Amino acid sequence: MDKQTLSYYFDYNATTPISESVTNTMKSNLSLFYNPSSNSTLAGESKEVIHRARRNVAKLLGCEPAQVFFVSGGSEANNWAIKGYLLNLYKNPGHIITSAIEHPSVLESLKYLEKQFNFQVTYIEPQANGAISAQDVGRAFNPRTQFISLMYANNETGVIQPVEFIQKLLHSGVKFHIDGVQYIGKCPTDVKSLNVDFMSFSAHKFYGPKGIGGLFVKDPKALSPLIHGGGQEMGMRAGTENMLAISGIGQAADDCNNWMDSWYKHYVDCKNYLIKRLQELPFKIDFNGDIDTTKSVPNTLNFSIDGVRGEAVAAFLDKKYNIAVSVGSACSNNKQNKLSHVLVAMGLDEERVQSALRVSFGRYTTFKDIDYFVDGLTFSVTKLQNIGAIA
Amino acid sequence: MYSDLIAEHFMDPGYVGNIDSPEFEFKVGNSVCGDRIQIQFKTSKNKITQIAYRAWGCATSVATGDIFCESVENQSFDELVSRSNEQMAALLGELDPSQQHCVNIMESLHEKLVAAIG
Repeated sequence: MDKQTLSYYFDYNATTPISESVTNTMKSNLSLFYNPSSNSTLAGESKEVIHRARRNVAKLLGCEPAQVFFVSGGSEANNWAIKGYLLNLYKNPGHIITSAIEHPSVLESLKYLEKQFNFQVTYIEPQANGAISAQDVGRAFNPRTQFISLMYANNETGVIQPVEFIQKLLHSGVKFHIDGVQYIGKCPTDVKSLNVDFMSFSAHKFYGPKGIGGLFVKDPKALSPLIHGGGQEMGMRAGTENMLAISGIGQAADDCNNWMDSWYKHYVDCKNYLIKRLQELPFKIDFNGDIDTTKSVPNTLNFSIDGVRGEAVAAFLDKKYNIAVSVGSACSNNKQNKLSHVLVAMGLDEERVQSALRVSFGRYTTFKDIDYFVDGLTFSVTKLQNIGAIA
Repeated sequence: MYSDLIAEHFMDPGYVGNIDSPEFEFKVGNSVCGDRIQIQFKTSKNKITQIAYRAWGCATSVATGDIFCESVENQSFDELVSRSNEQMAALLGELDPSQQHCVNIMESLHEKLVAAIG
């Protein structure tokens, strides 16, 4: 892993680098070609790789290994939880509650159910601080409500949603799905005490490989299999397992189980330092969403900069400093596609959305890297504000 | 992704600024994406002799303003008014789909210039 590249990397919410321990584990398993479904002695080791990974992930989530199902990633997990449960009810399509700031894999799945199967969906708008109100969710319930799908932490703002409070409002028989992709691996999680029905997660958000993730399912009998076939993944997702990737997510989960507390503290320290440095800048910064590290994941900060477009700042940071960040708006002639649906739903005006940047850091980020970022940001913004100073 | 041409004019624009007592000034905006470009220039003997711009917008739109200014400086009015929209678009080189709106901006700059000097 190129340490210098990581020093310039501030887009950990998009994806994380594969850690050294995960790399080593996957490398060490490269020669294990035996099909884990085989009953041969030699396949035992392959089976054990998968069992170990499932145990590690179960420990990370606070559940039983039999409740962890490996899939290709967060989008697949979200699709499966939603359609795998609700399509069982297609003859009696009811009401679903979600929020306007969900990941597209949730929003598009629900739109599909609305359009094709006549489910009714309520999209809860967030408050100005980026969190949806548990009271709003409570008010949205009706006797026909069958399902709630909400994210644990928003990918753009990092704001943590009040899922514990919402769980307490659940009416009997209503299933609760949490998209935990941006939360799992960053913050301690206990699905048992949360008492949710489904939780999605993705390895490449916590230093594992891409193409592997999973779904926690409290009661597997409640969910239809995703892929019918040879019985893999306890009969829920057929197909020979992606053993190398599974070994990778298992190692990534094990690392989190061992080091989560120290990494969490590191993220909090980095976020507080970045906030302090940004507040000292000679130009105006507006934070988007709650920045309190108890109310947002501590590796994420979203802010708008007065008088510049986020896209131009990101381009400047990339070209001059090799710094990677994300933006709140892509420039385009298609207005619907260009503005962040999250920031718009929070009620931010168009210019503020257009000037938004998302900075997300991780395990390898140092205070020195943050200084480099802030220096680059200062130069880029000053230059672009000068270019854009139209009378 | 930005082409080398766009990156060069975005990172190191040569025509940013204001002109004292400009002879002509116009602004172009894209109502959908919100980009805005201001052009100021002076002329002498039917040529543009001094030109400057400012731009609020994405990287490609900042580069568009600079490429436009470079393309008109020291050009005769006859040459400028004879340029087609296709020629104007070609000045920007290859663009990603998300950058295509800058072709409209370039065409609008050309139209405003022609209207000013025509």
